[in-house]
Amino acid sequence: MQGFFLGLSSGAVCAAYCAPVLVPYLLGEGRSVLQNFSALLQFLLGRLLGYLAFAVFAWGIHASLPQDIAHRNLLIGAAYVLLAGLLIFYSFFKAGRACPSAGGQEIDHRLCDSRSSLFLLSMGLATGLNFCPPFLLAVVTAADQASLLQSLLFFLTFFLGTSVFLIPAPFLGLLRGFSPLHLIGKMAAGLIGAYYLFLGTTMLAGGLYR
Amino acid sequence: MMKEHPPHAKPSEVRQSPGKSFLYALPMMLLTLMMLSGGKIPADPQRLFVLAVTYLFFNVLFFLMIHTGKTDRYRATAFITYAILFIVSFISHMFEARGSMSLSQEKIILCEVPFCHLVIPMTLIPAAFTKTIIFPGSITGGFASIASMFVIWIGASLSMGRGWCSWGCFFGGLDDAFSRILKKPLIRKIDPRWNYLPWAVLLAVVLTAAAFLSPTYCEWLCPFKTVTEFQAVTSFKILVQTIIFVSLFIALVIVLPLLTKRRIQCSLFCPFGAMQGLTNRINAFDVRIDPDSCINCKRCMTACPTFSVTEESIRTGRPLMSCMKCGTCVDVCPKGAASFHVRGTPVAVNRNIKRLLFLYAAFLFLAIFSGGTIQDGLSRIIRLITTGSMI
Ligand code: SF4
Ligand code: SF4
Repeated sequence: MQGFFLGLSSGAVCAAYCAPVLVPYLLGEGRSVLQNFSALLQFLLGRLLGYLAFAVFAWGIHASLPQDIAHRNLLIGAAYVLLAGLLIFYSFFKAGRACPSAGGQEIDHRLCDSRSSLFLLSMGLATGLNFCPPFLLAVVTAADQASLLQSLLFFLTFFLGTSVFLIPAPFLGLLRGFSPLHLIGKMAAGLIGAYYLFLGTTMLAGGLYR
Repeated sequence: MMKEHPPHAKPSEVRQSPGKSFLYALPMMLLTLMMLSGGKIPADPQRLFVLAVTYLFFNVLFFLMIHTGKTDRYRATAFITYAILFIVSFISHMFEARGSMSLSQEKIILCEVPFCHLVIPMTLIPAAFTKTIIFPGSITGGFASIASMFVIWIGASLSMGRGWCSWGCFFGGLDDAFSRILKKPLIRKIDPRWNYLPWAVLLAVVLTAAAFLSPTYCEWLCPFKTVTEFQAVTSFKILVQTIIFVSLFIALVIVLPLLTKRRIQCSLFCPFGAMQGLTNRINAFDVRIDPDSCINCKRCMTACPTFSVTEESIRTGRPLMSCMKCGTCVDVCPKGAASFHVRGTPVAVNRNIKRLLFLYAAFLFLAIFSGGTIQDGLSRIIRLITTGSMI
């Protein structure tokens, strides 16, 4: 339960960290609330995978990683670059190219769906590894756990606690009738992507040339 | 297609005789005298001279607005003068206080950075959730405090909505000035989708400011840092930020307004302006087009410097939410169909009175808000001429 409460108490900060990635995407897609919930679940699944991967790691290294600035920069830098790549790709290359769902192109449609799932999973994974302050706190606490299972459980409950704050996000679907929001979401994704790209590359450079 | 001029509609008669204009301008003369002098006439001859020049400047412009019935050219004269003298006054202050335009880390840590309204959208979410203002400025004391800027912003939003961007903002006069230099635009076709860019910038800076608890627009994008203050270049990151904001200044404030004759920075980039458009919805004044008098000549659409008149808005009689109430469309309309309007009243009735009401709200705000800065800027220029130094 400790993880859950830690997640709950710091969930607003987690939501603030996820929002720059999630909000432009949900606006840009302009889907219904229900479809947004499914997108959020895929995103959260990616984030959970990131957390669990880190749970194994945190347990294995006993919290030495967060204290090692250079390694930490490398990891966060890589996560930012991945996020930047995804956001910029979304902004420029997915812009205006709707899924050909009509006209019996069932295979294309499914291909599109699986591509967008992969996209959401990757965005979730990258935000999961993005070392926001509550996450760092969780890493340190998880590293004190006696067994790998305990560490995994800790991260799972932490994840559940933080996810509560993302529940309102799908309701952005209520605004989908306002079509300019799709374009605004895509433009914002590009701008935020550029910002992450700079942060990521400088962190990577800082980690490499210390 | 151009419509025939209907027999009952006549161009609105907004010109006034000199006597009537004087009478209409009289309350403004008294109010500005009170506000600019602060109730006492300075004993120092130089200060008295500066006060007299500022007072005359505003009141001659206001008189001409009423007498000629034209708004934009006199508004722009005051607005552009304000922007230029703001820069003169601000830079002099910075040199006086810290010896340069660049900000040191020490000043940032001591929270001594002057606050400007452009930061407001980024501070709202972090202030609501963390009860902190994510800007290294002083809350109440010192030069340009956060509290005073919030109060001014609320006052401006209530009195004129996005009219702030044509009557209040101390930066807006810059792209306004450059957009007036050429007689004809060299670039005419601009994809209307760019109209949504300020909203995207707003969304991006609000979200990143909430995530990283820092004013990302100020740090990375604000072009006006070029002519006010900026962080001393002490790292690669600050170097990149400097390159970005200087390039944006050159492109959005100088080159593009010059080539397009439109206020590109204010209408296609500024996130504060986008947010301020929302206050147009709660404000008593707006600009309307009377469909009965309109002959669909589209002069208003071509002249609007903010892309706020579209074919659709001519049809519906309402410019877009981005309208900055500059008055250009009202001035160029050959049939008096475009006019300042008070919400809840019929469009084609009492246009003169509605225009006068709006002008009193907007011009008085401009005169009071900019008066001190204009006087300071003028004093600095006189000092420069007489002593060779502005500080
Ligand atoms: S300037 Fe605009 S409002 Fe006036 S008549 Fe022409 S189209 Fe109509
Ligand atoms: S619609 Fe008219 S008043 Fe509004 S910004 Fe355009 S020209 Fe100015």
